[in-house]
Amino acid sequence: MIRPRPALARLTQVFLVIGNTTFGGGNPTMAALQRELVDRRGWITQEDYALAYALANITPGTNVLAFCAAVADLILGVRGAIAAVLAVTVPSAVLAVLLTYGYESWRTNSIVMAAIGGTVAAVAGMMWSSVWRLVVPNLGGLWKTARAMVFFGGAFLAAWRFGVTPIPVIAVAVLAGLLWKE
Amino acid sequence: MNILLLYLLLLKATCTSFSGLASLPMVRADFVVERHLLTDRQLNTAVVAGRTGPGPNGLYLVSVGYFVGGLPGAAVGLLAVMTPAFFILPMMYWIGARANSPRIRGAIRAVVLASAGLLLSSSLPLARDAITGGLSLAIVIVTFLALCFTSVDSAWMMLGAAAVGLAAKLLRI
Repeated sequence: MIRPRPALARLTQVFLVIGNTTFGGGNPTMAALQRELVDRRGWITQEDYALAYALANITPGTNVLAFCAAVADLILGVRGAIAAVLAVTVPSAVLAVLLTYGYESWRTNSIVMAAIGGTVAAVAGMMWSSVWRLVVPNLGGLWKTARAMVFFGGAFLAAWRFGVTPIPVIAVAVLAGLLWKE
Repeated sequence: MNILLLYLLLLKATCTSFSGLASLPMVRADFVVERHLLTDRQLNTAVVAGRTGPGPNGLYLVSVGYFVGGLPGAAVGLLAVMTPAFFILPMMYWIGARANSPRIRGAIRAVVLASAGLLLSSSLPLARDAITGGLSLAIVIVTFLALCFTSVDSAWMMLGAAAVGLAAKLLRI
């Protein structure tokens, strides 16, 4: 079956709209792109989507950007990948700079700082929810849970109790993860 | 700070993490603890700015770059966020077939779990800075529970927390 091949401007527009109007991070964005690229437009197959999704999860950095690069590359090659990554990041990055500038400019306003204080507290809760979401899918069964706790607890203790920096912790995790089968 | 060094430090953070906020421990170690270019409060603000809007979670690095180097810093922050995404292109062609290898997947899971441990460790000083009383503690707990056990969007939690902080100030709670 021959898949439709969009123009670069059309491809960029799809990533621009979905990437900059979907809140909640990577997973909602990848789900929205699945509906748009696989189900609605037929630009990639479900198998393409699954491969890109799997590889995005083992690519360093922000998973959703790797996913966008991969599926856009499948559709229009490297120029599509570059356009998709730029379309997803640049408008949101401009907004992030404006918000940072705004937060700093309002620093002397006690009313605004009260609102910002509330959001800063929410960030702490959000970071702990990220920890929860990273750990919970790796639990289940005594052996799997024990393995997860060794990696999670070991990294936490190494950093918190002994002040080990992240790179050695990650390097040890890679080696131990290769040697200790699930 | 030299803009190339800023890019390389932010790139180091993105290249050694596997999700948006997982780069936070590296950023805190380099910019707050080692080089004193950011305070914990500024790092918190950067995370808030990156998460209040749409787009990938890793965009808080753009705000970190802005704090350290102004607009050029923000630009290299964006570049550091985008760069690792293109590592997937050779992977698609050459190692796609090995993505389901149990050994590779086991190593990836180990890195994800270690990242979670590092994230917990680096979040504790930030939380100590953020929790200033009973109300902020309540916001932390409610946000954690809502994001773990409901499908509410994190942006709504940010806006809700801002509204609660504002209301508390106006009502002098």
